[in-house]
Amino acid sequence: MRNHVREQRLLREMSQADLAAALSVSRQTVISIESGRYLPSLPLAFRIARFFDLTVDKMFDPDEEEAGA
Amino acid sequence: MTRFIRPRLRKPLRRAVAGLGIAGAWAIGGGQSWWLAIVIAIVVVCSTAGWYVWAGQDTDEGALLGSRADERQQQVGQRARALAGTVAMVAAYAGLLVTLAVNRADAWPFAIMLFATGLGYLFGLSSYGSGEPAADEDADAGDQARAAAGG
Repeated sequence: MRNHVREQRLLREMSQADLAAALSVSRQTVISIESGRYLPSLPLAFRIARFFDLTVDKMFDPDEEEAGA
Repeated sequence: MTRFIRPRLRKPLRRAVAGLGIAGAWAIGGGQSWWLAIVIAIVVVCSTAGWYVWAGQDTDEGALLGSRADERQQQVGQRARALAGTVAMVAAYAGLLVTLAVNRADAWPFAIMLFATGLGYLFGLSSYGSGEPAADEDADAGDQARAAAGG
């Protein structure tokens, strides 16, 4: 499943540590989500989407394969 | 009770208590090698300091040790515990097989370990499973929707 977390974070010129602090997760978890190694739980997916003012389906796309996967 | 202990210290302290328990048991066992209990206690205290330092690091292992793991790190910890449980079960089974073949009188600790791990698995299934299947609410909802549409 592809997600747009990295793009959205870079658009806002945030570091992975900043995003991790904003979402109350670890920096390692942000790295795992961005690289597609970890699929966040539904509550965390909503938190991410709300943080970027997007809907969950705009943030996570089940039809798109992760690049390099 | 653990609420009064700093999160970073909880797991290292728990391991220290477990380790000092072994040292105490060794000391109670007595014999000529009773002094090894002191060595064990020193090793436990030193390793506890090491665990505490590790618990402060910005890694998955540090977060787990420091009791501040997020959902992914908790999942990692659960998988690691599941693997440890599987290894314990396989080791108990192998020990049981070997002792049954060599000296049956020594087999009971392995049998108890195998029984305990198996029982723990079954208890986990009953505790974390969904239990009794719920009533088919979708069917009821469908009936009501059809009735509403028809009426």
